[in-house]
Amino acid sequence: MLREWKTEWMKLRRRKVGLLLLAFLGFTFAWCSWILSDAGVEELMDGYRWIFSNLSIINTILLPTLLAMLASRLCDMEIKGNTLKLICTMEKKGRLFDMKFLTGGLYLVLYVSAELLLLFVSGSVYGFGEPMQPRHVLYFLVQNVTVSLVIYLLQMMLSFRFENQIIPLAAGLFGSFIGLFSWFFPDTSLFRWIFVWGHYSLLHFIGNNWDEATRISTFYDVEPSRAALCLVLVLLAGGYLAGRHLFVRKEI
Amino acid sequence: MEYIVETKGLSKSYGGKQVVKDVDLKVPDACVYGFMGPNGAGKSTTLKMLLGLIRSTGGQAWIDGKEMNPKNRLEILRETGSLIESPSYYGHLTGRENLEIVRTLKKTPEKEVDQVLKLVRMERQQNKKAREYSLGMKQRLGLAAALLGRPRLLILDEPTNGLDPSGIQEIRELICELPKRMGITVLVSSHLLSEMDQMADYVGIINHGQLIFQDKLDALHEHSKSKLLLRVMNRTAALKILESRQVEGKMTEEGILLPGLSDDRTADLAAALSAGGAGLYRIEERQKSLEDIFLSLTGRRGSL
Repeated sequence: MLREWKTEWMKLRRRKVGLLLLAFLGFTFAWCSWILSDAGVEELMDGYRWIFSNLSIINTILLPTLLAMLASRLCDMEIKGNTLKLICTMEKKGRLFDMKFLTGGLYLVLYVSAELLLLFVSGSVYGFGEPMQPRHVLYFLVQNVTVSLVIYLLQMMLSFRFENQIIPLAAGLFGSFIGLFSWFFPDTSLFRWIFVWGHYSLLHFIGNNWDEATRISTFYDVEPSRAALCLVLVLLAGGYLAGRHLFVRKEI
Repeated sequence: MEYIVETKGLSKSYGGKQVVKDVDLKVPDACVYGFMGPNGAGKSTTLKMLLGLIRSTGGQAWIDGKEMNPKNRLEILRETGSLIESPSYYGHLTGRENLEIVRTLKKTPEKEVDQVLKLVRMERQQNKKAREYSLGMKQRLGLAAALLGRPRLLILDEPTNGLDPSGIQEIRELICELPKRMGITVLVSSHLLSEMDQMADYVGIINHGQLIFQDKLDALHEHSKSKLLLRVMNRTAALKILESRQVEGKMTEEGILLPGLSDDRTADLAAALSAGGAGLYRIEERQKSLEDIFLSLTGRRGSL
Protein backbone atom coordinates (compact mmCIF):
# COMPACT_ATOMS: atom_id res chain seq x y z
CA MET A 1 0.00 0.00 0.00
CA LEU A 2 2.88 2.37 0.77
CA ARG A 3 4.31 1.80 -2.71
CA GLU A 4 1.05 2.76 -4.36
CA TRP A 5 0.73 5.78 -2.07
CA LYS A 6 4.27 6.83 -2.99
CA THR A 7 3.62 6.51 -6.71
CA GLU A 8 0.52 8.72 -6.43
CA TRP A 9 2.73 11.52 -5.14
CA MET A 10 5.31 10.81 -7.83
CA LYS A 11 2.59 11.21 -10.43
CA LEU A 12 1.58 14.56 -8.96
CA ARG A 13 4.92 16.16 -9.69
CA ARG A 14 4.40 19.32 -11.79
CA ARG A 15 0.62 19.04 -11.52
CA LYS A 16 0.61 22.27 -9.42
CA VAL A 17 -2.09 20.99 -7.10
CA GLY A 18 -0.61 23.00 -4.21
CA LEU A 19 -0.81 26.14 -6.31
CA LEU A 20 -4.46 25.44 -7.09
CA LEU A 21 -5.25 25.12 -3.40
CA LEU A 22 -3.27 28.25 -2.57
CA ALA A 23 -5.15 30.23 -5.23
CA PHE A 24 -8.51 29.23 -3.76
CA LEU A 25 -7.24 29.84 -0.24
CA GLY A 26 -5.98 33.28 -1.24
CA PHE A 27 -9.33 34.12 -2.82
CA THR A 28 -11.20 32.97 0.30
CA PHE A 29 -8.84 34.99 2.50
CA ALA A 30 -9.32 38.10 0.34
CA TRP A 31 -13.10 37.64 0.49
CA CYS A 32 -13.05 37.30 4.30
CA SER A 33 -10.69 40.29 4.62
CA TRP A 34 -13.09 42.37 2.56
CA ILE A 35 -15.95 41.35 4.88
CA LEU A 36 -13.85 42.19 7.92
CA SER A 37 -12.80 45.57 6.52
CA ASP A 38 -16.43 46.72 6.97
CA ALA A 39 -16.76 45.26 10.46
CA GLY A 40 -18.01 47.31 13.37
CA VAL A 41 -16.99 46.81 17.01
CA GLU A 42 -20.07 44.70 17.79
CA GLU A 43 -19.40 42.39 14.89
CA LEU A 44 -15.74 42.01 15.82
CA MET A 45 -16.76 41.09 19.36
CA ASP A 46 -18.49 38.00 17.94
CA GLY A 47 -15.99 37.73 15.07
CA TYR A 48 -15.58 33.94 14.95
CA ARG A 49 -19.32 33.24 14.70
CA TRP A 50 -19.59 35.98 12.10
CA ILE A 51 -16.74 34.67 9.95
CA PHE A 52 -17.69 30.99 10.41
CA SER A 53 -21.13 31.88 9.14
CA ASN A 54 -19.72 33.68 6.12
CA LEU A 55 -17.01 31.10 5.49
CA SER A 56 -19.61 28.33 5.30
CA ILE A 57 -21.31 30.21 2.47
CA ILE A 58 -18.02 31.04 0.73
CA ASN A 59 -17.00 27.37 0.87
CA THR A 60 -20.37 26.30 -0.50
CA ILE A 61 -19.64 28.45 -3.52
CA LEU A 62 -15.94 27.74 -3.97
CA LEU A 63 -15.41 24.17 -2.80
CA PRO A 64 -17.47 22.40 -5.52
CA THR A 65 -15.41 24.15 -8.20
CA LEU A 66 -12.15 23.51 -6.33
CA LEU A 67 -13.06 19.85 -5.89
CA ALA A 68 -13.88 19.49 -9.59
CA MET A 69 -10.48 20.93 -10.48
CA LEU A 70 -8.71 18.84 -7.84
CA ALA A 71 -10.32 15.59 -9.03
CA SER A 72 -9.51 16.50 -12.60
CA ARG A 73 -5.84 17.18 -11.74
CA LEU A 74 -5.57 13.84 -9.96
CA CYS A 75 -7.54 11.60 -12.31
CA ASP A 76 -7.38 12.93 -15.86
CA MET A 77 -3.68 12.07 -16.23
CA GLU A 78 -4.64 8.40 -16.14
CA ILE A 79 -7.18 8.89 -18.92
CA LYS A 80 -5.14 11.25 -21.10
CA GLY A 81 -2.02 9.09 -20.98
CA ASN A 82 -3.84 5.74 -21.36
CA THR A 83 -2.04 4.66 -18.23
CA LEU A 84 -4.76 2.51 -16.70
CA LYS A 85 -3.88 -0.44 -18.93
CA LEU A 86 -0.29 -0.18 -17.75
CA ILE A 87 -0.87 0.64 -14.07
CA CYS A 88 -3.59 -1.97 -13.66
CA THR A 89 -1.15 -4.75 -14.56
CA MET A 90 0.87 -3.75 -11.48
CA GLU A 91 -1.69 -2.34 -9.07
CA LYS A 92 -5.19 -3.47 -8.15
CA LYS A 93 -7.82 -1.21 -9.66
CA GLY A 94 -9.58 -0.87 -6.33
CA ARG A 95 -6.32 0.18 -4.72
CA LEU A 96 -5.77 2.82 -7.38
CA PHE A 97 -9.26 4.19 -6.69
CA ASP A 98 -8.51 4.24 -2.95
CA MET A 99 -5.24 6.08 -3.51
CA LYS A 100 -6.92 8.76 -5.62
CA PHE A 101 -9.61 9.15 -2.96
CA LEU A 102 -7.09 9.31 -0.14
CA THR A 103 -4.85 11.79 -1.94
CA GLY A 104 -7.78 14.09 -2.73
CA GLY A 105 -9.11 13.65 0.80
CA LEU A 106 -5.76 14.64 2.27
CA TYR A 107 -5.61 17.75 0.11
CA LEU A 108 -9.12 18.62 1.22
CA VAL A 109 -8.36 18.22 4.92
CA LEU A 110 -5.23 20.33 4.48
CA TYR A 111 -7.26 23.01 2.72
CA VAL A 112 -9.97 23.18 5.40
CA SER A 113 -7.29 23.12 8.14
CA ALA A 114 -5.49 25.99 6.42
CA GLU A 115 -8.76 27.93 6.40
CA LEU A 116 -9.10 27.36 10.13
CA LEU A 117 -5.52 28.44 10.70
CA LEU A 118 -6.04 31.61 8.68
CA LEU A 119 -9.23 32.27 10.59
CA PHE A 120 -7.39 31.90 13.88
CA VAL A 121 -4.62 34.26 12.73
CA SER A 122 -7.18 36.78 11.46
CA GLY A 123 -9.02 36.56 14.78
CA SER A 124 -5.82 37.46 16.62
CA VAL A 125 -4.97 40.29 14.21
CA TYR A 126 -8.46 41.85 14.25
CA GLY A 127 -8.93 41.16 17.95
CA PHE A 128 -12.11 39.09 17.94
CA GLY A 129 -13.83 39.38 21.30
CA GLU A 130 -14.50 35.76 22.08
CA PRO A 131 -11.99 32.90 21.60
CA MET A 132 -12.50 30.30 18.89
CA GLN A 133 -14.70 27.55 20.31
CA PRO A 134 -13.56 23.92 19.75
CA ARG A 135 -17.09 22.79 18.86
CA HIS A 136 -17.22 25.41 16.11
CA VAL A 137 -13.97 23.98 14.76
CA LEU A 138 -15.39 20.47 14.93
CA TYR A 139 -18.67 21.43 13.26
CA PHE A 140 -16.81 23.36 10.58
CA LEU A 141 -14.62 20.35 9.83
CA VAL A 142 -17.60 18.00 9.77
CA GLN A 143 -19.59 20.34 7.56
CA ASN A 144 -16.84 20.96 5.03
CA VAL A 145 -14.96 17.68 5.01
CA THR A 146 -17.85 15.20 4.86
CA VAL A 147 -19.93 17.02 2.24
CA SER A 148 -16.81 17.81 0.21
CA LEU A 149 -15.72 14.16 0.23
CA VAL A 150 -19.06 13.12 -1.24
CA ILE A 151 -18.70 15.78 -3.93
CA TYR A 152 -15.09 14.76 -4.54
CA LEU A 153 -16.16 11.14 -5.08
CA LEU A 154 -18.70 12.31 -7.64
CA GLN A 155 -16.10 14.46 -9.38
CA MET A 156 -13.60 11.59 -9.37
CA MET A 157 -16.06 9.35 -11.14
CA LEU A 158 -16.81 12.04 -13.71
CA SER A 159 -13.11 12.74 -14.28
CA PHE A 160 -12.44 9.04 -14.82
CA ARG A 161 -15.48 8.71 -17.06
CA PHE A 162 -14.88 11.61 -19.44
CA GLU A 163 -11.75 12.28 -21.41
CA ASN A 164 -12.94 15.83 -21.94
CA GLN A 165 -12.57 17.41 -18.52
CA ILE A 166 -14.95 20.25 -19.37
CA ILE A 167 -17.85 18.01 -18.33
CA PRO A 168 -16.65 17.39 -14.75
CA LEU A 169 -15.65 21.05 -14.43
CA ALA A 170 -19.10 22.12 -15.61
CA ALA A 171 -20.57 19.80 -12.98
CA GLY A 172 -18.43 21.57 -10.37
CA LEU A 173 -19.67 25.01 -11.44
CA PHE A 174 -23.25 23.73 -11.48
CA GLY A 175 -22.69 22.48 -7.92
CA SER A 176 -21.43 25.89 -6.84
CA PHE A 177 -24.64 27.53 -8.05
CA ILE A 178 -26.84 24.88 -6.50
CA GLY A 179 -24.96 25.24 -3.23
CA LEU A 180 -25.36 28.99 -3.22
CA PHE A 181 -29.10 28.78 -3.96
CA SER A 182 -29.58 26.24 -1.20
CA TRP A 183 -28.79 28.92 1.39
CA PHE A 184 -31.95 30.78 0.34
CA PHE A 185 -34.16 27.84 1.28
CA PRO A 186 -35.19 26.71 4.78
CA ASP A 187 -33.90 23.47 6.30
CA THR A 188 -37.18 21.76 5.56
CA SER A 189 -36.97 22.53 1.86
CA LEU A 190 -36.44 19.54 -0.40
CA PHE A 191 -34.01 21.61 -2.45
CA ARG A 192 -31.45 21.47 0.36
CA TRP A 193 -31.87 17.73 0.77
CA ILE A 194 -31.89 16.39 -2.76
CA PHE A 195 -28.74 18.08 -4.02
CA VAL A 196 -25.48 17.03 -2.39
CA TRP A 197 -24.15 20.57 -2.85
CA GLY A 198 -27.02 21.80 -0.68
CA HIS A 199 -25.83 19.71 2.24
CA TYR A 200 -23.31 22.38 3.29
CA SER A 201 -26.26 24.60 4.18
CA LEU A 202 -28.04 21.70 5.89
CA LEU A 203 -25.06 21.26 8.22
CA HIS A 204 -24.82 24.94 9.17
CA PHE A 205 -24.04 25.55 12.81
CA ILE A 206 -24.37 29.34 13.15
CA GLY A 207 -27.68 31.18 12.80
CA ASN A 208 -28.22 34.93 12.58
CA ASN A 209 -30.85 37.58 13.25
CA TRP A 210 -30.93 40.69 11.18
CA ASP A 211 -32.28 43.75 12.99
CA GLU A 212 -33.60 46.06 10.33
CA ALA A 213 -33.83 49.05 12.65
CA THR A 214 -30.25 48.92 13.90
CA ARG A 215 -28.98 47.17 10.75
CA ILE A 216 -27.02 44.82 12.97
CA SER A 217 -26.78 41.04 12.67
CA THR A 218 -26.47 38.95 15.76
CA PHE A 219 -25.15 35.42 15.53
CA TYR A 220 -26.08 32.42 17.62
CA ASP A 221 -25.20 28.72 17.78
CA VAL A 222 -27.34 26.17 16.00
CA GLU A 223 -27.08 22.43 16.51
CA PRO A 224 -26.34 20.95 13.06
CA SER A 225 -29.04 18.63 11.76
CA ARG A 226 -28.27 15.06 12.82
CA ALA A 227 -30.53 13.69 10.14
CA ALA A 228 -28.55 15.68 7.56
CA LEU A 229 -25.27 14.39 8.97
CA CYS A 230 -26.57 10.82 8.80
CA LEU A 231 -27.61 11.39 5.19
CA VAL A 232 -24.18 12.78 4.28
CA LEU A 233 -22.40 9.86 5.99
CA VAL A 234 -24.63 7.34 4.21
CA LEU A 235 -23.96 9.10 0.90
CA LEU A 236 -20.25 9.08 1.63
CA ALA A 237 -20.14 5.36 2.41
CA GLY A 238 -22.52 4.47 -0.42
CA GLY A 239 -20.77 6.78 -2.88
CA TYR A 240 -17.39 5.27 -2.03
CA LEU A 241 -18.61 1.68 -2.39
CA ALA A 242 -20.57 2.37 -5.57
CA GLY A 243 -17.79 4.47 -7.13
CA ARG A 244 -15.16 1.86 -6.33
CA HIS A 245 -17.34 -0.95 -7.61
CA LEU A 246 -18.02 0.85 -10.88
CA PHE A 247 -14.35 1.72 -11.32
CA VAL A 248 -13.21 -1.85 -10.66
CA ARG A 249 -15.89 -3.31 -12.94
CA LYS A 250 -15.13 -1.00 -15.83
CA GLU A 251 -13.07 -2.78 -18.45
CA ILE A 252 -10.04 -1.03 -19.85
CA MET B 1 6.65 -28.77 -24.97
CA GLU B 2 6.76 -26.05 -22.30
CA TYR B 3 4.34 -23.24 -22.93
CA ILE B 4 4.72 -19.92 -21.18
CA VAL B 5 1.22 -18.91 -22.22
CA GLU B 6 -1.57 -21.38 -22.67
CA THR B 7 -5.26 -20.77 -22.97
CA LYS B 8 -8.14 -23.18 -23.23
CA GLY B 9 -11.46 -22.12 -24.68
CA LEU B 10 -10.77 -18.45 -23.96
CA SER B 11 -13.86 -16.50 -24.95
CA LYS B 12 -15.30 -13.06 -24.66
CA SER B 13 -18.68 -11.75 -25.64
CA TYR B 14 -20.25 -8.33 -25.45
CA GLY B 15 -24.02 -8.26 -25.24
CA GLY B 16 -24.43 -11.65 -26.83
CA LYS B 17 -21.91 -11.00 -29.60
CA GLN B 18 -18.88 -13.23 -29.32
CA VAL B 19 -15.69 -11.35 -30.17
CA VAL B 20 -13.31 -14.11 -29.07
CA LYS B 21 -14.39 -17.72 -29.43
CA ASP B 22 -12.70 -20.67 -27.74
CA VAL B 23 -9.15 -19.56 -28.35
CA ASP B 24 -6.53 -22.17 -27.44
CA LEU B 25 -3.22 -20.32 -27.51
CA LYS B 26 0.03 -22.18 -27.02
CA VAL B 27 3.03 -19.91 -26.77
CA PRO B 28 6.35 -21.75 -26.37
CA ASP B 29 9.05 -20.41 -24.08
CA ALA B 30 11.80 -18.03 -25.28
CA CYS B 31 10.51 -17.32 -28.75
CA VAL B 32 8.77 -14.58 -30.65
CA TYR B 33 5.14 -15.55 -31.10
CA GLY B 34 3.35 -13.52 -33.72
CA PHE B 35 -0.34 -13.11 -33.08
CA MET B 36 -1.84 -12.10 -36.39
CA GLY B 37 -5.22 -11.21 -37.67
CA PRO B 38 -7.02 -8.48 -39.54
CA ASN B 39 -8.19 -5.38 -37.69
CA GLY B 40 -11.05 -6.22 -35.35
CA ALA B 41 -10.27 -9.95 -35.35
CA GLY B 42 -9.96 -10.11 -31.56
CA LYS B 43 -6.19 -9.77 -31.03
CA SER B 44 -6.29 -6.92 -28.51
CA THR B 45 -9.23 -8.43 -26.66
CA THR B 46 -7.36 -11.73 -26.28
CA LEU B 47 -4.21 -9.99 -25.06
CA LYS B 48 -6.19 -7.82 -22.64
CA MET B 49 -7.82 -10.96 -21.25
CA LEU B 50 -4.38 -12.45 -20.70
CA LEU B 51 -3.45 -9.37 -18.71
CA GLY B 52 -6.72 -9.41 -16.78
CA LEU B 53 -7.64 -5.96 -18.06
CA ILE B 54 -10.94 -7.35 -19.28
CA ARG B 55 -12.81 -10.33 -17.92
CA SER B 56 -13.17 -13.40 -20.08
CA THR B 57 -16.64 -14.87 -20.41
CA GLY B 58 -15.28 -18.38 -20.73
CA GLY B 59 -12.16 -20.49 -20.69
CA GLN B 60 -8.93 -20.48 -18.73
CA ALA B 61 -5.48 -19.00 -19.14
CA TRP B 62 -2.16 -20.15 -17.76
CA ILE B 63 0.94 -18.02 -17.65
CA ASP B 64 4.15 -19.77 -16.79
CA GLY B 65 2.16 -22.79 -15.70
CA LYS B 66 0.00 -20.89 -13.24
CA GLU B 67 -3.69 -20.53 -13.85
CA MET B 68 -4.70 -16.90 -13.83
CA ASN B 69 -7.47 -15.77 -11.53
CA PRO B 70 -8.34 -12.37 -10.05
CA LYS B 71 -6.48 -13.21 -6.85
CA ASN B 72 -3.10 -14.18 -8.30
CA ARG B 73 -3.26 -11.95 -11.38
CA LEU B 74 -0.84 -9.29 -10.15
CA GLU B 75 1.59 -11.82 -8.75
CA ILE B 76 1.74 -13.61 -12.12
CA LEU B 77 1.95 -10.36 -14.04
CA ARG B 78 4.98 -9.30 -12.01
CA GLU B 79 6.94 -11.50 -14.41
CA THR B 80 5.23 -9.95 -17.40
CA GLY B 81 5.70 -6.71 -19.29
CA SER B 82 3.07 -5.30 -21.59
CA LEU B 83 2.43 -2.63 -24.14
CA ILE B 84 -1.18 -2.59 -25.27
CA GLU B 85 -2.30 -0.52 -28.25
CA SER B 86 -1.18 3.10 -27.87
CA PRO B 87 1.68 3.82 -25.47
CA SER B 88 0.90 4.63 -21.83
CA TYR B 89 2.67 7.57 -20.24
CA TYR B 90 2.25 10.54 -17.93
CA GLY B 91 2.79 13.46 -20.28
CA HIS B 92 3.73 15.95 -17.57
CA LEU B 93 6.55 13.71 -16.33
CA THR B 94 9.88 13.02 -17.97
CA GLY B 95 10.64 9.65 -19.53
CA ARG B 96 12.77 8.74 -16.54
CA GLU B 97 10.10 9.80 -14.05
CA ASN B 98 7.60 7.65 -15.91
CA LEU B 99 9.92 4.68 -15.60
CA GLU B 100 10.51 5.43 -11.91
CA ILE B 101 6.78 5.04 -11.28
CA VAL B 102 6.74 1.64 -12.99
CA ARG B 103 9.92 0.66 -11.18
CA THR B 104 8.42 1.55 -7.79
CA LEU B 105 5.27 -0.44 -8.51
CA LYS B 106 7.28 -3.41 -9.78
CA LYS B 107 9.71 -3.21 -6.85
CA THR B 108 12.78 -3.42 -9.06
CA PRO B 109 16.25 -2.01 -8.35
CA GLU B 110 16.97 1.59 -9.37
CA LYS B 111 19.77 0.66 -11.76
CA GLU B 112 17.29 -1.16 -14.01
CA VAL B 113 15.93 2.17 -15.19
CA ASP B 114 19.31 2.98 -16.72
CA GLN B 115 19.56 -0.48 -18.22
CA VAL B 116 16.21 -0.34 -19.99
CA LEU B 117 16.85 3.23 -21.14
CA LYS B 118 20.05 2.00 -22.72
CA LEU B 119 18.31 -1.01 -24.24
CA VAL B 120 15.73 1.14 -26.03
CA ARG B 121 18.36 3.80 -26.80
CA MET B 122 16.69 6.61 -24.90
CA GLU B 123 19.43 7.72 -22.54
CA ARG B 124 19.69 11.14 -24.11
CA GLN B 125 15.97 11.86 -24.10
CA GLN B 126 15.24 10.55 -20.61
CA ASN B 127 14.86 14.00 -19.04
CA LYS B 128 12.46 15.34 -21.63
CA LYS B 129 8.75 15.46 -20.80
CA ALA B 130 6.94 12.46 -22.29
CA ARG B 131 4.31 14.62 -24.00
CA GLU B 132 7.10 16.18 -26.06
CA TYR B 133 8.20 12.80 -27.41
CA SER B 134 7.47 11.66 -30.93
CA LEU B 135 5.20 8.63 -31.28
CA GLY B 136 8.24 6.43 -31.85
CA MET B 137 9.85 7.68 -28.65
CA LYS B 138 6.63 7.15 -26.70
CA GLN B 139 6.50 3.62 -28.06
CA ARG B 140 10.10 3.04 -26.97
CA LEU B 141 9.29 4.47 -23.55
CA GLY B 142 6.39 2.01 -23.34
CA LEU B 143 8.73 -0.79 -24.31
CA ALA B 144 11.25 0.32 -21.68
CA ALA B 145 8.50 0.29 -19.04
CA ALA B 146 7.46 -3.18 -20.16
CA LEU B 147 11.05 -4.41 -19.87
CA LEU B 148 11.48 -3.21 -16.28
CA GLY B 149 11.67 -6.03 -13.79
CA ARG B 150 13.28 -8.39 -16.31
CA PRO B 151 10.01 -10.03 -17.32
CA ARG B 152 9.92 -13.58 -18.65
CA LEU B 153 7.07 -12.68 -20.94
CA LEU B 154 6.47 -9.55 -22.96
CA ILE B 155 3.02 -8.92 -24.41
CA LEU B 156 3.10 -6.32 -27.17
CA ASP B 157 0.00 -5.25 -29.03
CA GLU B 158 0.80 -3.72 -32.40
CA PRO B 159 4.01 -2.10 -31.14
CA THR B 160 4.94 -0.67 -34.52
CA ASN B 161 1.63 1.06 -35.16
CA GLY B 162 2.13 4.59 -36.39
CA LEU B 163 5.91 4.36 -36.53
CA ASP B 164 7.99 5.46 -39.48
CA PRO B 165 10.02 2.78 -41.34
CA SER B 166 13.19 3.36 -39.30
CA GLY B 167 11.19 3.20 -36.06
CA ILE B 168 9.59 -0.04 -37.20
CA GLN B 169 12.99 -1.46 -38.01
CA GLU B 170 14.38 -0.49 -34.59
CA ILE B 171 11.48 -1.99 -32.66
CA ARG B 172 11.63 -5.11 -34.80
CA GLU B 173 15.33 -5.59 -34.17
CA LEU B 174 14.81 -5.11 -30.47
CA ILE B 175 12.00 -7.66 -30.36
CA CYS B 176 14.10 -10.21 -32.23
CA GLU B 177 17.00 -9.69 -29.84
CA LEU B 178 15.01 -10.23 -26.64
CA PRO B 179 14.57 -14.03 -26.71
CA LYS B 180 18.22 -14.57 -27.62
CA ARG B 181 19.80 -11.99 -25.33
CA MET B 182 17.52 -12.15 -22.32
CA GLY B 183 15.49 -15.32 -22.72
CA ILE B 184 12.29 -13.30 -22.88
CA THR B 185 9.27 -14.71 -24.69
CA VAL B 186 7.62 -12.07 -26.83
CA LEU B 187 3.95 -12.39 -27.69
CA VAL B 188 3.47 -9.72 -30.30
CA SER B 189 0.36 -8.92 -32.26
CA SER B 190 0.17 -7.32 -35.64
CA HIS B 191 -2.02 -7.18 -38.69
CA LEU B 192 1.05 -6.86 -40.89
CA LEU B 193 2.13 -10.19 -42.23
CA SER B 194 5.43 -8.99 -43.59
CA GLU B 195 6.36 -7.81 -40.11
CA MET B 196 5.64 -11.20 -38.60
CA ASP B 197 7.57 -12.91 -41.37
CA GLN B 198 10.66 -11.03 -40.23
CA MET B 199 10.20 -11.44 -36.49
CA ALA B 200 8.20 -14.46 -35.44
CA ASP B 201 9.28 -18.04 -34.76
CA TYR B 202 5.71 -19.14 -34.14
CA VAL B 203 2.48 -17.67 -35.40
CA GLY B 204 -1.16 -17.74 -34.44
CA ILE B 205 -3.79 -16.37 -36.78
CA ILE B 206 -7.08 -15.15 -35.42
CA ASN B 207 -10.05 -14.20 -37.54
CA HIS B 208 -13.56 -13.28 -36.42
CA GLY B 209 -12.49 -14.18 -32.88
CA GLN B 210 -11.39 -17.72 -33.77
CA LEU B 211 -7.85 -19.04 -33.85
CA ILE B 212 -7.62 -20.52 -37.31
CA PHE B 213 -3.94 -21.36 -37.44
CA GLN B 214 -1.20 -21.89 -34.88
CA ASP B 215 2.19 -23.38 -35.54
CA LYS B 216 5.78 -22.56 -36.44
CA LEU B 217 6.25 -19.87 -39.05
CA ASP B 218 7.85 -22.53 -41.25
CA ALA B 219 4.64 -24.53 -41.09
CA LEU B 220 2.76 -21.51 -42.35
CA HIS B 221 5.22 -21.28 -45.20
CA GLU B 222 4.50 -24.89 -46.02
CA HIS B 223 1.02 -23.79 -46.98
CA SER B 224 2.70 -21.98 -49.77
CA LYS B 225 3.49 -25.21 -51.65
CA SER B 226 4.33 -24.31 -55.18
CA LYS B 227 1.97 -24.85 -58.08
CA LEU B 228 2.68 -25.33 -61.75
CA LEU B 229 1.26 -23.18 -64.48
CA LEU B 230 1.08 -24.77 -67.89
CA ARG B 231 0.97 -22.57 -70.93
CA VAL B 232 -0.32 -24.52 -73.92
CA MET B 233 -1.61 -23.79 -77.42
CA ASN B 234 -4.49 -26.31 -77.16
CA ARG B 235 -6.11 -26.23 -73.75
CA THR B 236 -8.78 -28.86 -74.53
CA ALA B 237 -6.19 -31.39 -75.58
CA ALA B 238 -4.05 -30.57 -72.59
CA LEU B 239 -6.95 -31.07 -70.18
CA LYS B 240 -7.72 -34.49 -71.70
CA ILE B 241 -4.11 -35.58 -71.24
CA LEU B 242 -4.12 -34.35 -67.67
CA GLU B 243 -7.36 -36.22 -66.96
CA SER B 244 -5.95 -39.43 -68.40
CA ARG B 245 -2.97 -39.08 -66.08
CA GLN B 246 -5.17 -38.25 -63.09
CA VAL B 247 -3.72 -34.77 -62.58
CA GLU B 248 -6.21 -32.16 -61.53
CA GLY B 249 -5.85 -29.06 -63.66
CA LYS B 250 -7.61 -25.77 -63.10
CA MET B 251 -8.21 -23.45 -65.99
CA THR B 252 -7.14 -19.85 -65.32
CA GLU B 253 -6.75 -16.81 -67.53
CA GLU B 254 -3.02 -17.37 -67.70
CA GLY B 255 -3.10 -21.10 -68.36
CA ILE B 256 -3.74 -24.37 -66.56
CA LEU B 257 -2.85 -24.46 -62.89
CA LEU B 258 -1.65 -27.77 -61.47
CA PRO B 259 -0.74 -28.80 -57.94
CA GLY B 260 2.96 -29.10 -57.18
CA LEU B 261 4.40 -32.27 -58.76
CA SER B 262 7.65 -34.11 -58.33
CA ASP B 263 10.36 -33.53 -60.94
CA ASP B 264 9.82 -37.02 -62.47
CA ARG B 265 6.11 -36.55 -62.87
CA THR B 266 6.61 -33.06 -64.27
CA ALA B 267 9.04 -34.41 -66.89
CA ASP B 268 6.66 -37.25 -67.74
CA LEU B 269 3.71 -34.89 -68.06
CA ALA B 270 5.67 -32.43 -70.21
CA ALA B 271 6.60 -35.25 -72.59
CA ALA B 272 2.99 -36.47 -72.77
CA LEU B 273 1.67 -32.96 -73.44
CA SER B 274 4.19 -32.38 -76.21
CA ALA B 275 3.48 -35.73 -77.79
CA GLY B 276 -0.29 -35.38 -77.44
CA GLY B 277 -0.50 -32.15 -79.46
CA ALA B 278 -1.27 -29.82 -76.58
CA GLY B 279 1.31 -27.36 -77.85
CA LEU B 280 3.14 -26.93 -74.56
CA TYR B 281 5.35 -23.88 -74.75
CA ARG B 282 6.03 -23.01 -71.11
CA ILE B 283 5.89 -24.46 -67.56
CA GLU B 284 6.10 -21.95 -64.70
CA GLU B 285 6.45 -22.63 -61.01
CA ARG B 286 4.07 -20.49 -58.96
CA GLN B 287 4.88 -19.88 -55.29
CA LYS B 288 1.99 -18.81 -53.03
CA SER B 289 3.04 -15.73 -51.12
CA LEU B 290 2.53 -15.49 -47.39
CA GLU B 291 0.08 -12.73 -48.12
CA ASP B 292 -1.96 -15.17 -50.24
CA ILE B 293 -1.94 -17.73 -47.45
CA PHE B 294 -3.04 -15.17 -44.93
CA LEU B 295 -5.88 -14.10 -47.19
CA SER B 296 -6.90 -17.64 -47.89
CA LEU B 297 -6.85 -18.42 -44.16
CA THR B 298 -8.76 -15.38 -43.05
CA GLY B 299 -10.94 -14.89 -46.10
CA ARG B 300 -11.88 -18.47 -46.85
CA ARG B 301 -11.51 -20.53 -43.79
CA GLY B 302 -13.13 -23.52 -45.48
CA SER B 303 -10.24 -23.85 -47.85
CA LEU B 304 -7.91 -24.92 -45.03
